[in-house]
Formats: sequence, C-alpha cells, structure tokens
Amino acid sequence: MKQPLRALYQMVKADFLERVRRYSFLVILAGALWLAYGIAAEKVWVRVGDGYRGVYNSAWIGMLMAICSSTFLSLCGFYVVKNSVERDSTTRVGRILAATPMRKEFYTVAKTVSNFAVLACMVLVLMAAALAMQWVRPEVRPISLWQLWSPFLLITLPAMFVTGSVALLFETLPVLRSGAGNVIYFFVWTFALVAGVQSGFDDPVGIRVLERSTHQAMERMNPGAATNSGFSLTIGGERASRTFLWNGVDWTLRGVGSRLLWVAVGLGIALLASVFFHRFDPARERIGGRKVGKKSGMAADDPALEARPAQAALGHTVLTALDGRAHGRFARLVLSELTLMAKGLRWWWYVVAAGLLVAEVVSPTVQAREGVLLAAWIWPALVWSQMGCRETRCDMQSLIFSAERVVYRQLFAIWVAGVAIALVTGAGTGIRLLASSGGSSDWKMLAAWFAGALFIPSMAVAMGVWSGTSKLFEAVYTVWWYVGPLHQLLTLDFVGGTRGSSSPGLYLTLAAGLLLVACLGRRRQVAYA
Amino acid sequence: MKLSIEGVSKRYGAKTLALQDFSLELGPGILGLLGPNGAGKTTLMSILATITRPSSGTIRWDGADLARDPNAIRSLLGYLPQDFGVYPNLNAVEFLEYLAAVKGLDAGAAARRIDELLNLVNLTDVRKRPLGGYSGGMRQRIGIAQALLNDPKLLIVDEPTAGLDPEERVRFRNLLSDLSGDRIVILSTHIVSDVEATATDIALISQGRLVAHAAPEDLLRAVEGKVWEWVVPSAELNAARQQHLISNTTRRSDGVHVRLLAAQPPAGTTAVAPNLEDAYLYCLSKYRGGAAA
Repeated sequence: MKQPLRALYQMVKADFLERVRRYSFLVILAGALWLAYGIAAEKVWVRVGDGYRGVYNSAWIGMLMAICSSTFLSLCGFYVVKNSVERDSTTRVGRILAATPMRKEFYTVAKTVSNFAVLACMVLVLMAAALAMQWVRPEVRPISLWQLWSPFLLITLPAMFVTGSVALLFETLPVLRSGAGNVIYFFVWTFALVAGVQSGFDDPVGIRVLERSTHQAMERMNPGAATNSGFSLTIGGERASRTFLWNGVDWTLRGVGSRLLWVAVGLGIALLASVFFHRFDPARERIGGRKVGKKSGMAADDPALEARPAQAALGHTVLTALDGRAHGRFARLVLSELTLMAKGLRWWWYVVAAGLLVAEVVSPTVQAREGVLLAAWIWPALVWSQMGCRETRCDMQSLIFSAERVVYRQLFAIWVAGVAIALVTGAGTGIRLLASSGGSSDWKMLAAWFAGALFIPSMAVAMGVWSGTSKLFEAVYTVWWYVGPLHQLLTLDFVGGTRGSSSPGLYLTLAAGLLLVACLGRRRQVAYA
Repeated sequence: MKLSIEGVSKRYGAKTLALQDFSLELGPGILGLLGPNGAGKTTLMSILATITRPSSGTIRWDGADLARDPNAIRSLLGYLPQDFGVYPNLNAVEFLEYLAAVKGLDAGAAARRIDELLNLVNLTDVRKRPLGGYSGGMRQRIGIAQALLNDPKLLIVDEPTAGLDPEERVRFRNLLSDLSGDRIVILSTHIVSDVEATATDIALISQGRLVAHAAPEDLLRAVEGKVWEWVVPSAELNAARQQHLISNTTRRSDGVHVRLLAAQPPAGTTAVAPNLEDAYLYCLSKYRGGAAA
C-alpha cells in the first residue's frame, strides 16, 4: 500500500476503533435496531400517490429501509459523529498529531471517512434488518439481494458520507463547533430536506430518485390515474390500504454517477473543513466565545506574569481559622450555579433575552405572545444543555464529588437554577396569565406554563447527567420544540401555556420523573451517594 | 485524629488488582507515598477521597467507617487529584467561590479564605483572569488553593508539584510542612526529593501492596553500608549496569561516577552516605527479590 494511503487507513482505523470500543457505540447500534424495528412494525412507512404503498418485495423493503436510514441517520447520525475533532482535543492526542508532518487536508478527510465508517455500521444493521424483514413477512417470497441492498449502497451510503463531512465541517468552524451548531444543524437539515425535494435536483438523501422511480411504476400500473406523484415518509397514522408493484430503481450509469457525485461533494466539504481546521493550536482555542489572549483572556505563557517574583513569604504559613463554616447554604449554591451558567454568555445574549421578555409582556394578541414564548424558551437552550454534564465535560468530578453532601444538593441547585432561567425568560407570559387569570382555562394555561418551566430543566439535567454531554439535550430539545410547540403537535406541546393545549399534569409528572432519573444518574457517578 | 486503612483491595474487571490487602494507620504529619508507575497510588488516593469505592476492606476516620458515613471524611477533606479540570470561563475568585459553596462554606469566611489562598499560591495578580488562559503551573496552583479552602484535617495531594517551576515547588513544599502540624497530609509523588524535604513518614507501594511504612530515618538506616561509589570508564558502564543496582551516574573527567547498591562492596568502590532515593530503590529491589537484597 502506498504510504499516504496506508497513513490514511491507519488514521481512520485508529479513530474508528476508538469509537467502536466505547459503550456509547452499543447505544448507537441499539438506536439503529430501534429504527429498524419501527420500520418493520410499520410505525414508519412510505406513502406514494393517493395512499399507496409498494408490495413488500426485496425492492420495496430495501427502499423503505434505505430511505428511512438516509433521512433519520442524516439527522441523528450528525449528532452521533460530531465529536471526532473534539475527542482528539480532549484526549490531547490532537497536539501530538499536530506536531507531525500530517497535512490538514489529510486529517479532515481521514476524520470524514471515520465518521462515515461509524454511520456505515448503523447502515449495516439496517441492511441486516431488511433481510430479516423480508424473511419474516414475505408478500413476495424470492429474495433479490441486489434489489434489497442496492438502495443502501447507492442512496444511503452517499448520504452518510455527506453527513459525516458536514459534521466535520461544523466541528472545524468556531461558531458551529459549540451547542449553537447542534441547534443550527437541525434547521439546516430541515431546510435542505424541503429544498432538495422541491428543487427538482437529485438531493443527498435520495428522495427525488425514489419519487421519480415510484411515480413511473404507478404510471405503468394505471396510466390515467397516477396524477398524484407524492412520495412521503410517514410516521404513524393510517396505513395504506392499496398496493402497487415496484421492482426498484432502474439504475443507469448516469443515475449511479449522480449518487456518487454526493461522495465527491462530501470530499469537497472535508477539504473545505481543512481551511478552518486550526490544527489544535491552543492560541486559537476559544474561551467563552473569545479567543485566548483577547481582552479578558490571556496567553498561557505570559512572560510578565510568570517572571513575577514570589510575593508571599516562604515558610511559616498559617491559615486563619474558618469560624463561619455553615453547611446547607443551598441558596448560595444555587446562586453559584447561576453564575456558572451565566458566565460564558455574551452581552447580546442578555439583550435578546430581555427583548423577548418585553415582547411577551407587550404582545397584543395571544397568538403573538405564544410565538414570543416559544422563542424565549429556545433562546436559553444552550444554557440548559450544560446542566448535569458540565462537571464531566470540564473534568471537575473529582473536585466536586469529594465535597460533603454534594450529590443531591448540587444537583438540585443546578435544577433550581435551570428552573429560574425558564421562569425569568418566560416571565412575561407568566405575568400576563396571572394578571388575566379569571376563568378555569386561564389557570390551566398558567399551570401549563409553569409545568413547561419545570419540564425543560428537568429534561436537560437528566440528559446531561446520563449522557455526560450537552449534545443529547440540544438535539432532542430542538426537535421536540420544533415538532411539539412550534407545529402544535398536542401531545408534545410542553409550552402550551397560551393555547391551553398541553397537559400540565403530564409535564409536571414528566418533570418529576426526569428529576428522579437525573438523581439516579448522579448516584451512579458517585462512589458514596 | 487517626486514619485507618484496613485490608483495602480494589479490583478493576476480572484481572486487574490495583490494590491488594492494603493496611496502614496514619496520625498527624505528612505521609509520602512513593511507588513506581501503576503501583496503585492514585487508586488509593481516590479511595481515600471517597471518589472510588474499594472492592473490599475498611477505611475509618477516628473510628467512623467511611463506607457508612462518607460525609464524615468529606467535611474534613482537601483533595488535589493528579488530573483535574477547571471551568475555563470562571476566574480564580469565581472558581474558588463556587467550590466554597459546593463545600458548604459561609460566604464571608470563604471570601477571606480565598484572598488568603490566592496570596499563598501567588495568583493574586491574576485573580480576575479566566482560568482557561492559565498555564499548567497556574492551574496546579489553583488546584492547591481549592484543596485548602475548607481548612482540611485530611489533605490528599496527588502529584502536587507536577508542572510547577522550582521556585513554586519549594514554596509548596514549605506550605505542606507548615500546614502539617495538626493535620494528616498524604503526598503521592514520583519526585523523591519532594518527599525527602517534607515527609514525616514514608509508605512504599508496589504492585498494589504496601512494601514498607517507616520514618525516613529508618528507611535510610536500612540501607546504611549498602551504598557505594565506583568510578568506571564510560565503556564499562553498560557492564556495570548489568551487574549491579545503580541508583545514579555522573560523568566527570576521570570517568563515570556510579552510585550503586550492593550488600557486599565490589572491588574499587568507596562507601557513601545513603539518600532516600537509594533507600527507595533498595526496598523495591528487596521486595522484588533483586540483587541488592
């Protein structure tokens, strides 16, 4: 093997093995299996035209599994693999790599391939599940492996390569590297999905290719009737009652080429990422959104500082006695946690939060107030996402968990601080509801608003403690906020204070349950609870 | 004030036994914990700091079982781990205020103590700078400060001088000596000179077992008459290394001055006064059944 290829192979292999030997990889595979189960159980299905589905032959099952993988893994997979550069930074392996002759382009391409390899493992699980699905529920008995697996190879895998490269690009861009990137990606993904389908070009997820092919099959079956060319991925709902026979995409050289073009696009993104990759230069690390050395930051090797002579006397040190020792100063701990949460925020964050608060108070209509509250409760998402995982992320467990009666006291302090942020940012709505509360529906809205304020931090702290990362909450909360409150899916609407559409009882119970889950997680982290 | 470690073992998985039936009793003073890499020092420190549970055995603080009442020890504990992080956006004062709140200290007392400690570790001038911009040595100093926040009766410091410059290392040694009067200090390090300068007691640990626990003078006495200096040509150094347990070599114009440990002196050697490094090597060699024994 030529030297550069061998080096690339070794880099990908090392990174891949480091990932798959972690327990979290099993969780990832379990997630893929869960998705496969959802498809096999027809919780997720594809509807063509006016309520048609394909006969469950190899082509349809393969396509169904492949398009579900493409769609869901291009979202969830992004969050799964967006940590390869971060891992090299936290393990400090990056600094060793940076001191080698390795080129930046080489590094970003290797990381993209490694991201792709992890995603491909999930795809492999779904490929096996597709085979099992046709075995278990054959509407057409003969199994054609090409028809079953070609959609994975030509539709899903290129989509995974693009996902892997975008994850890497996000990691190399300073603004997108943080939690903001996790939230922004969801909206980028939603936009790309819609725009891809509507543009008429071959989209990375592969919906257009399949839409065209199934439309042609419908036309062949019933030339006059197939006027509706709709192709939609449906979660739940009424199942299709009518079927049609589809024997898969008739892959031409041009069709294959257009799918492989996405691999080239992925490579291009990986090369673009190398432009922003700072090669683990500590001087370019950011503290609180500011580069080290600017304003309040400072260079670690400040000669003026290090050369300063010792001022304290050597020897004969006596610490003054601590006479004011007081245990259980819970309020002070809550304030400390609030300070910690607020510390990384810039001035403009407060300006926007204050603006939203004022808008809640002065919004003329209930609908407007509802919209502002939605914005007010997505704005602190990155503050909440640090709850419960900051200790792990900053490697502070040994300092904090060796303190007295800290396990639940500190966790509750974090939770109270998170609730305080929810109450303050949503205070405008709360005040309006309090002021207008006369009927029972007003009280229900107020209760729903309060339940929402308890639910969000509870979810954040539970996810933070168990995952040890802010990413899980950032991803889940953004999707939940988008699907539930924003698109008014009633059962998922935890905000519903102004519409009265949510169930305060449900979300209060969920909040209590999640807090309990967080306590169990914290108990697991500490040797002596 | 007494810390008793009784038959403590720690097993990681099925094969790795990090500590084996480790027993020790400690009173006020500085215990220097010495041992090679992977000997189990950090595991022991972590168990004493209530971060890790032992697989078996008991730890008692003034008779109270740590497993039953970990808070009894936590309220009196100052712990500086070998590896620890900081919150990069906080400055030194905010960071120490936060940990003071976590440790349940009164606000006024904490503020006074923080001033005092920042002065002590020489960080007063940079108290308002974010910790993310601190050098390794400065972070280590903030770690030392946090360990002393609650006026600990049990101070556990794991490789505390790693990353400190010589001047700061001397300051820290003095600080430990000054503070040790009415506390139990456990100092784990690879740097024998740190232990030599401060420890009132030394525990040698190897392969998870206690090899020796004695005063430094007793350890030195044990190696008395077993340390020799030998001047050999450079070309013969490798042969000498294979034959004897060598604790140090110094190149001079007349050849290489080799400091070696042996029960019987090789021809041409002169006896020299032992130091703690000699005693450390001698004890480990004896434990492993080496030549010097």
